[in-house]
Amino acid sequence: MTTSAPQARTAPPPARRKAGRQRPRRSGRRLAPYLFLLPAAVLFAVFKLYPIGRSFFLSLYKSVDGVDRYVGLDNYERLMDDPLFWTALRNTGVILVIQVPLMLALATGLAVALNSALLRARAVFRLGFFLPMITGLVAYGIIFSVLLNQQYGLANWLLSLVGAGEVPWLTDPLWAQISLGLALTWHYTGYNAVILLARLQTIPSELYNAAAVDGAGAWQSFRHVTLPGLRPALLLTTVLSTIGTLQIFDEPYILTRGGPDNATLTIGVYLYQNAFQYFDFGYASAIAYVLAVLIGVLGLIQFRVLGDKS
Amino acid sequence: MNPSRPYPSRRRVLGLGGALAASAGLGGLAACSSGPRAGAHGDPAKGDITVWSWAGPAAEMRALVPEFTKAHPGIKVTVEDIGNPAIWDKITTSMAADGAGLADVLHIGVDYLPAYTDRFPGQLADLGPLGAGKYRTAFADGLWQTVSLDGSRVDALPWEANSGGFYYRADVFEQAGVDVTALGTWDDTIEAGREIKAKTGTYLLGIDKPASQQDSANLFQLLLQLQGAMYFDLDGAITVSSPEAVLAMTLIKRMNDAGLVNDISGGWNSLISSVKSGTAAVLPWPTWFGGVIEDSVPDQAGLWGVRLPPAVQPGGTNAATVNSTHLAVSGTSRHQAAAFRFVEFVLTRPRSQVRIYRNQGIAPALMAAYEDPVFHQPSEFFGGQKKGEIFLDALRADSPAFNYTSDYARALKAVTDAQTRVLLRGADPATELRRAADQLAAQTARKVAR
Repeated sequence: MTTSAPQARTAPPPARRKAGRQRPRRSGRRLAPYLFLLPAAVLFAVFKLYPIGRSFFLSLYKSVDGVDRYVGLDNYERLMDDPLFWTALRNTGVILVIQVPLMLALATGLAVALNSALLRARAVFRLGFFLPMITGLVAYGIIFSVLLNQQYGLANWLLSLVGAGEVPWLTDPLWAQISLGLALTWHYTGYNAVILLARLQTIPSELYNAAAVDGAGAWQSFRHVTLPGLRPALLLTTVLSTIGTLQIFDEPYILTRGGPDNATLTIGVYLYQNAFQYFDFGYASAIAYVLAVLIGVLGLIQFRVLGDKS
Repeated sequence: MNPSRPYPSRRRVLGLGGALAASAGLGGLAACSSGPRAGAHGDPAKGDITVWSWAGPAAEMRALVPEFTKAHPGIKVTVEDIGNPAIWDKITTSMAADGAGLADVLHIGVDYLPAYTDRFPGQLADLGPLGAGKYRTAFADGLWQTVSLDGSRVDALPWEANSGGFYYRADVFEQAGVDVTALGTWDDTIEAGREIKAKTGTYLLGIDKPASQQDSANLFQLLLQLQGAMYFDLDGAITVSSPEAVLAMTLIKRMNDAGLVNDISGGWNSLISSVKSGTAAVLPWPTWFGGVIEDSVPDQAGLWGVRLPPAVQPGGTNAATVNSTHLAVSGTSRHQAAAFRFVEFVLTRPRSQVRIYRNQGIAPALMAAYEDPVFHQPSEFFGGQKKGEIFLDALRADSPAFNYTSDYARALKAVTDAQTRVLLRGADPATELRRAADQLAAQTARKVAR
C-alpha cells in the first residue's frame, strides 16, 4: 500500500477542467458502470458485510435477562470446554476426511466416463448426474428420510427382497453417519463431475496421442496426462467441497436432527441449535467465527498443497 | 484502460465501497441497538390483526373469526397456520429482529413462554393494563402462575391445560387377561406389559429411541411430573439428575430391557402409523392426544379406553398438568387492544372453548367451560367412559407448579441424549443423567441441585 500511495498522489490531476461543456456527459459515462454496480454493492453490504460484522460484535456479548452484556472472549473460552462443540467438530471432520475424497474420486471417474467417446446419449447422462444438485435441499432431505426409514422405507424393503435384515439407517449412530455420507455423495458428485468434465475437455488430445506413441496404457495416460491436467479443477472442487462440508446443515438437520446421540451433529447444526433453540446468539456467533477461521485455514493449506507451484 | 480518461481509480472505488459498507453496517447497528420499537394499545374496536398458530388450533381460531367479526366489525383478523415446530423458529427470528414482522397474537407453549419473556423482555405485551386481571381465577389451578411469573405482569392467557393421560387398547388388555384399572404403579404396569407381550405379542408402549424428534422424552417427563419434579426446581437449579429423575429413567430402562418398548423413530408419522397398526397397548400421552386417536383410527371405536397414568411410587399421585399453551399479544403490535379482544373471545368465552373441544379434543384451561355437557357425556369411542370427566378430575387435583425456565430447550436436549444412550446402548441412567446435569451447568451457569 505505502509503495503505491505516492504514485497515486503524484499522478497528474485528471483533465477535469478541460472538459468544459462535455463534462456532464463524460462524468455520466464515467459513473454509469458504478451505478450499475451499486445495487449489488448495497445488497452485498447489507446482507453480507453487515451480518459478518454484527455477528463478530455479538460473539463478544452474552444475553443476561434479555440484556446483552459484554463478556470479551468468554464465549470463545466456553467453546473450548464444550464437549458438544468438539463432537460437532469431530463429526464434521470425519465427513471431510472420508466422504469428500471418496466423492471426488467418484466424480473424477464419472467425468472421465462422461468424456468417453464410446458413450452414447451423453447429454442424458450428464443431465442425470447433475440433476440432484438442483434438487431443493429440503426436498431431497425428506426423500432420503423416507427412503431410509427403518420400518417402511424403500431401502429396507429392497434389502428384505434379497433376504437381508433391517438396516437402522437413521437410528443407529454409525449407520446415521453412513446415511448422511450417502446422501451427500448423491447430491454433490454430479456437480463436481461437471466441473471436472469442463476441465477435462481442455486437455489437448495431442497429449494423449503422444502418450500413446510412447506406449502408455489407459492407466498410465490417466495418471500422467489426465490427472495433472485436472489439477486446477481438482483444487477448485476440493476447496468448494471443504467449505461446503464445514458449513453442512440441511442434510443432518432434516435427516437426523443431529442425532442419534449427536452422531451426526455438525458445526452448522450446533450453531443453529444455540441460536434458534437456546436463544444464545452470542455463543452461536462465536461458533460461526471459529468456523470461518477453520475454513480460511483449510482453504489456505489446500491452495498450498494442490495449487500451481509456478 | 486509457490512463487519460478520468475514471475513478480502482482504489477509490474500493474505498467508496468500503465506506458504503461501513455506513450500512453502522446504520444497521444503530437501528438494532435501539431495542424493540414500542407498540401501542390502539383502538380496541379497530385494526387489522394477524394471529400465528398451528394445525388444529389455527383451524379452530379461523372458524371463530366470522362470529368475532360480527361482534367487532372494525377488527379484521387473519389467522396463519405456521406449523409446529416451525412457529418457534419464526417467533424467535422475529423477536431477535426486535419484533420485525411479528404477528399481533401468538400461540405459545409453556416450554417456550419463559424463554421468550426472559430472553426478549418487552416483546410480549403486558396484558394487565388491557384488562387481563379479571380472569385471574378463571383458569385451572397453577396456570395463572405460568402466565404471570412474577405476579406483576401478565404475559399471556392460558388456552389448553393438558393432564398426563394413559390411553390403552382395552381389547389387548382383555386378551392378555390384565385388569387395566387395577394398575396402581408403573411397576405394576411393567409386569402387565410382560403379560401382554407374552400373550399377544404387543409392545407395552412406544418411544422414539434415537430421539429423531424433540418430544421423544415425553414419557420421561411425565414420570418426573407425576413425582412433582421437573428439569429445574422452583429456584431454577438443575434437577435432571435428581433421585426422581433417576427413578423415572430407570423405569424406562427396565421396560426397554424387558423388550416392552417399540421404537417409533421417525417422528409424527411413525407414531400415527404405530397407532394404526396397533403395535403398542398403551399411549401415555396427554389430554389432547385423545382427539388424535379418534381421528386416526375411527374404525377402532370401542376398542380404546382411557384413564389417568399409574403413580410412580405407591400411594403417589396420578394427576399432573404436563403442559399448557397460551395466547400472547406481541409487544410491538400497534393494535394490542384489538388483539386482546380476540384473545378474550377465544379463551375466556366458554362457547368458544366448548366448540374447540368438540372439534379437536383440546382441553380448555378455562374452568367455566367444563359446565358444558360435552365434558360429561360418555364417549362412544372410549368404550362409554366419560373421558372429559377423567381429565377434569386431574385438572382439579392439586398439581405442583413446574419451573420450565428459559433453559428448558437445553435441558430437553441433554435429557433426550441421555435417554438415547440408555435405550440404544444400555447405559446407566444415573451416570447419564449426572452427565446431562453437568453439561447443562456448564452451558447455563445454573447450579446443579444435589
